[in-house]
Amino acid sequence: MLAEIGSILEGLALLTALYGALAAFWSIRRADPRWAASGRNAAYSAAALLGLALLALLAAFLSDQFQIAYVSQHSSRDLPLYLKISALWGGQEGSLLLWSFLQALFTALVLARPSEHARPLVPWATVLLSVITVFFTAVTLFLSNPFALLSAVPADGQGLNPLLRHPGMIFHPPLMYLGYVMLAAPFAFAMAALLTRRVEDWPSIARRWTLTAWLFLGLGLLLGARWAYDVLGWGGYWGWDPVENAGLMPWLTATALLHGAVMQDERRGFRLWNVLLAVFSFLLVLFGTFTTRSGMIQSVHAFARSNMGPYFLAFMSLTLVFSFALMIRYRRLLASPVAVDSFLTRDGMFLLTLLVFATITVSVLVGSLLPTITEAVGGRRFEAGPAWFDRVTGPQFAALTLFLGVCPLLGRAAAAFKRLRGRLLPALVGAVLLPVVAALAGFTNPLSLIGFAFAGLAAGTALTEWALDAVARSRHGETGLLVALGALLSRNRRKYGGYVVHLGVILIVLGLIGTRMAPFETQRVLDAGEAVGVGDYVLVLEETGREAAGDHLSTWALLSVYRNGQYLTTLRPRIEQYPTFFDQTVAVPALHPALRHDLYVVLASVSGDGSSVTVKVFVNPLASFLWLGGLVFLSGGVMALWPSAHQALPAPQARRRALLNSLGLAAVLLLLAAAALAMWGPGHGEVNRPAGRPLVGQPAPDFTLTLLDGSTLTLSELRGQVAVVNFWASWCPPCEDELPDLQQTWSAYQGRGVTFVGVVFRDEESAVRDFVARFSLTYPIGLDVDGRIAERYGITGVPETFVVDASGNVAAIHIGPVTAEQLVGELEGVVGR
Amino acid sequence: MGGKTKAIIAGLLIVAAVVYLIVTNTGSTAHYFLTVEEIQALGDQARGRNITVSGAVLGETIVYDPSIPRVTFTIVQVPGDPQEVERAGGLAAVLHAAVNDPTAPRLEVVYNDVRPDLLVNEAQAIIRGQLGEDGRFYADEVLLKCPSRYEEEIPAQAGP
Repeated sequence: MLAEIGSILEGLALLTALYGALAAFWSIRRADPRWAASGRNAAYSAAALLGLALLALLAAFLSDQFQIAYVSQHSSRDLPLYLKISALWGGQEGSLLLWSFLQALFTALVLARPSEHARPLVPWATVLLSVITVFFTAVTLFLSNPFALLSAVPADGQGLNPLLRHPGMIFHPPLMYLGYVMLAAPFAFAMAALLTRRVEDWPSIARRWTLTAWLFLGLGLLLGARWAYDVLGWGGYWGWDPVENAGLMPWLTATALLHGAVMQDERRGFRLWNVLLAVFSFLLVLFGTFTTRSGMIQSVHAFARSNMGPYFLAFMSLTLVFSFALMIRYRRLLASPVAVDSFLTRDGMFLLTLLVFATITVSVLVGSLLPTITEAVGGRRFEAGPAWFDRVTGPQFAALTLFLGVCPLLGRAAAAFKRLRGRLLPALVGAVLLPVVAALAGFTNPLSLIGFAFAGLAAGTALTEWALDAVARSRHGETGLLVALGALLSRNRRKYGGYVVHLGVILIVLGLIGTRMAPFETQRVLDAGEAVGVGDYVLVLEETGREAAGDHLSTWALLSVYRNGQYLTTLRPRIEQYPTFFDQTVAVPALHPALRHDLYVVLASVSGDGSSVTVKVFVNPLASFLWLGGLVFLSGGVMALWPSAHQALPAPQARRRALLNSLGLAAVLLLLAAAALAMWGPGHGEVNRPAGRPLVGQPAPDFTLTLLDGSTLTLSELRGQVAVVNFWASWCPPCEDELPDLQQTWSAYQGRGVTFVGVVFRDEESAVRDFVARFSLTYPIGLDVDGRIAERYGITGVPETFVVDASGNVAAIHIGPVTAEQLVGELEGVVGR
Repeated sequence: MGGKTKAIIAGLLIVAAVVYLIVTNTGSTAHYFLTVEEIQALGDQARGRNITVSGAVLGETIVYDPSIPRVTFTIVQVPGDPQEVERAGGLAAVLHAAVNDPTAPRLEVVYNDVRPDLLVNEAQAIIRGQLGEDGRFYADEVLLKCPSRYEEEIPAQAGP
């Protein structure tokens, strides 16, 4: 029933959107506002119908309608509610329906309250946006319908792929689709501007949509990268996979368009550039969808092959021919009235920036299509791996960073050296300081040092620019410096939002240099209790375990991590096995993030008896800067997007606007907080423990123990003697086994500079006294009443025994019972040395 | 020299630099896309360059030594052209036919890494690496897909 309703809703939406496009077109031909209103109503209805279709699919998921193929392939009865919701877009058919809905909704939004500026462009924009909605709805209905039925009804669905059960993957797809959908706006407005011969200010009309699209794509890419880092367990976050590239390319052109729009606004220039960038942003969205769903590109995360390819190709060709025909027809409108006369000007820098964004996009496109291109050119297929992309795009990204640093130093006109005063010195300080700090921190690769210099230059100029403006403002308005700084942010949001974005970019650049130019990766086999050095770190395997957790089996390893001999943290990487989902296994990495570098550990395998594990260890320098920079970057984008206060409005309207703005701000902050939580959220396989066991060779933690006879014993006062510190309890059977051996060894070594200390863990004094009598124990024994000593020694159970040499360092550690033979062997090694 | 000429020259310089980057890196770091059959046919000529080879995993040949760790396995020829795969009845059918064809060309792969989860019989392996002196293929990176198991592919990356 739901399936039929869903398909009918899709069909009605298709017809309505088609009618909307025709009505809008007719309103232009006839100059009749009634047709325009009808077209607008049709666009609203199409959005409502697709929204209902999406709700029908949601209802099908919630009521386990497994006769619907899409539901049975992406859900199961025991799937939690939030995953059933996210399964809506977990596959191709559902994601296309979501896309169609968002496209229709967005079209309705654009039409709902056009600004005075936008009004002349709206009729043509309605036609184009409705045609795009028609295309996506038709593809969904005829080629990839999520409501398609199975011939037999399965008892249960296949469930959602465990790799997709991550907050990053729940938010990533809708964010990307929102971005894609909104990139239709600059395209539609650019085309409408040509058709109505009003090319001057379409970029500023479309700016809010472009910026929002860019923001959503940016957040989507960031969450996707974080998901890869947290879930895929290969130590990286970006693999230059064609599917990743498909999302990156429109984001790059949208970034360029935002810069071009500033220039068109300020200087009336860059007109051709801006139209081209709007067209290509939209084409790249279609191209990305085409490549990921047509099976043309081999990718590990492409969708299944489908027969949509030719239709997407046809729609792309149509878009290309249509837009280029318009550009040629109205080429005179696109001639820029101002010419760039030197590159050492702000205009020149903007031009170079746009050019390099374009060449990066082309490079990524060439890399994604390299097998096809090389086969066509030379008959041999070459494939571009991550190294190819890093080496081709790396220098170009470096050039952009350099431009970012140089641009604020330059004025409008060539040879405006006046601006250099007060700006050059901090820029150079940044350019020298950052590489020096990086070199001291261990970065030796000259290329990465050049990168740090560029980033330092950019940081130096950005901060100086800000400071100079704040100082000027505070002098001018006689306010404090901080107030002036805040006022700058709230007054000229576009400019200062842009600066914040650039600061975020600089932080991301640091992260990119660190993670891509100096990563460290190794594999190690760890035996229980053995300390293994990896770079600056020492890893000790504490224990392994296996347990059922919901619908999967979890095999985990507990690893103590030390750095420079000090206990750092305990990591718990695990392998999850899903018997209900094709027996798929997911290696969930454990991560210790730190500003300087992340320690990232993946559990590869566990031996049959659990006494040994194979782990992959990655040390990723400056990885935190990627996520930190990402958040700064997004905050800047939100700031730039935020409308400036409207002083001109009458009081009640202004008050309502202010209320709406604060509500919106709260929503955006919540979104950013959610993004931050998804990135740093609770636990990445780290276990909180106050301390770990001291490593062999490191100083034993000092303690003072009150003995059973009332006297006290302090470990540091035993310096010069060898100490055997034994943690035990009367309730522990293995402890019972080892007590005679301890007493025997103590008797043999007493008086030879050896002291034994029994530290009793979580026990009753009477029970301990009984034991002392029963086993005739004569060495010092006391109760660790509040468990502090055990905590400082990081013991994970009893018995554990530490042999401390004459200089107070740990010489040997035993986890579990120790035998007299073992102790004698170890004592012979340290006594009398 | 006019502003326009300068702009064009600077633009051309940047474009030329990018073309240079693309061409040289395609020669040096890009991977030569070959099928198992083509590697066998090239023999010595295939040595010493980056190669991407795709093939069907032969389940019974998988040997894993976790102490190094190293996994060795054999892959069987599958066509490199997606259209040819489509004509032969889709990827799952092609992979199934390949592992059951004793006459199809084969290639032994050595991968010094932990055994990937999806390394199973009839999986499609896309392997980046180099052909060794001993005629075995030394993998830097192994990507696996099991089309018979999922309608849609999800990332299953091992390496780089």
